[in-house]
Amino acid sequence: MPAAVRTEGLTKDYGSGRGVFELDLEVRDGEILGFLGPNGAGKSTTMRMLLGLARPTAGRAEVLGRDVLSARERVGYLAGDFELYEQLTGAAVLAYFARLRGDVPKARIGELAERFGADLHRPVRELSTGNRQKLGLIQAFMGEPELLILDEPIAGLDPLVQRRFHDLLGEVRAQGRTVLLSSHTLSEVDRVADRVAVLRAGRLAVVDTLEHLRAIAVRRWEIEFTGPPPDPGRFRGIPGVLSAERNGEHVTVAFEGDADAVLKAAAESEVRELRVRDDDLEQVFLRLYEDGPA
Amino acid sequence: MTAAAFGLELRLRARSFVLAGLGLMAVAAITGALFPAFGESLGKVDLPEGVGDLLGGGDFASIAGWLDTEIASVYGPLVVAGSAIAAAAATIAGEEERRILALVLAHPVARTRLLLAKGAAIALLVAALGVACWLGLLVSVALAGGGIGAGKLAALALHLAFLGLAFGALALALGGVTGRRAVAAGGSAAVAVAMYLVNGLAPVVADWLQYLTFFHYYEGNEPLRDGVDPGHLAVLAAVTAALLAVAAAVFRDRDVRG
Repeated sequence: MPAAVRTEGLTKDYGSGRGVFELDLEVRDGEILGFLGPNGAGKSTTMRMLLGLARPTAGRAEVLGRDVLSARERVGYLAGDFELYEQLTGAAVLAYFARLRGDVPKARIGELAERFGADLHRPVRELSTGNRQKLGLIQAFMGEPELLILDEPIAGLDPLVQRRFHDLLGEVRAQGRTVLLSSHTLSEVDRVADRVAVLRAGRLAVVDTLEHLRAIAVRRWEIEFTGPPPDPGRFRGIPGVLSAERNGEHVTVAFEGDADAVLKAAAESEVRELRVRDDDLEQVFLRLYEDGPA
Repeated sequence: MTAAAFGLELRLRARSFVLAGLGLMAVAAITGALFPAFGESLGKVDLPEGVGDLLGGGDFASIAGWLDTEIASVYGPLVVAGSAIAAAAATIAGEEERRILALVLAHPVARTRLLLAKGAAIALLVAALGVACWLGLLVSVALAGGGIGAGKLAALALHLAFLGLAFGALALALGGVTGRRAVAAGGSAAVAVAMYLVNGLAPVVADWLQYLTFFHYYEGNEPLRDGVDPGHLAVLAAVTAALLAVAAAVFRDRDVRG
């Protein structure tokens, strides 16, 4: 299968254990790959190497079948932490990036701006973080690149814009284009990614489909009962349950696999509320990490 | 792509250069207007060797000496070199520090061409500042009652522009190599001050030291009296080119912070 991104032994050693080490990563043509890992795991560093912004200490990377620098004309990038020219308007910033790219139809910028509800006529310094992020997304998408490398694209976006962004990703996938999208939380890539690659301390912990990962991922429910909380021991015997604790008014259950038995056990008492805790990845993949690469 | 980067750089830096140019013109004009009153009463001030050189001679009896002291020695280099250093430090290092550069370089741009396009835009602005200085000097001499031809004034402006280019290239090189605006601006300013002192004090310490400073090639022969010195301008141009070459070579291959 042709790959949009292929790295072999890709390494960036910043010393004292920081960096990316011996990364063999493949992003398949036409897929959306969620690139997950806690902050500092090396996601941004990997992306920056795929754009030629950082040079590998060892190993190699190939993007769209070419070397990383010449591939840039077909790659759209959103940096995780970026600024824009403060004194320019959004329109002027995007016009500049369009000229650097060389082949962006003006109508495309207007169309994207409308979709994201971006104000292009105010100077960047007057824009909120979310509105700057919209400009970042527009510049990444406007060249209709074959590959999108998006570093924490959802940061700062309100839920409505997040949905439009997800719609856009769907269209990109339908057109057979490829996306590498990083996040430090599973929930952000949950709805959009075909597969996820989990990076931990600069090394690839696992690459798998979301379905499979979800099955082995540890989930955490907070169950609040109408009456006094029942004995958490009720949950402990259920296969797949890793822990069950009482915390004041509610019981917290951590489990893996099917939710059915946990749900039924909870329903033996009157449930007032059930919260699915959006744990950070370190928690979610705790077991995965402990077991080492699958 | 080169044209886009050049155009953007002009747009980003034009404002501060326009202000600097207007200031330079105003100060030149005022200096000229003050000459009839001050110059004639001060005459030639007898300053100790070294101090006189630092201040540009201290000869206030002629309009050439007066402008040499007031504009050519201190204010002109301060404004032109200062503007060039500020702009050159802001362009690569400044954009890198503000996390704009990574986004720019993710586009299909060649780093060397980007750096040179931005440098060329700043060079054009420095040249425009030289023209502004020349216009200010023309007004200045007219207000002082004449005494220096337009050609000699143009020579000073030209030397000043070349000095600005050399310091701008130094700041671009320090920024291109380190990616740090404070190093680019502060380092260049420190070098400028050190060169200024060395150039002024060289006659009392060791004459050969002045050949190490940009200021020697700027006004080692006084442009207001002797006109353009092509040899000295060639040295400044060569230094500028060498610094740009270093900037481009290092910037092309190094990591850019994101």
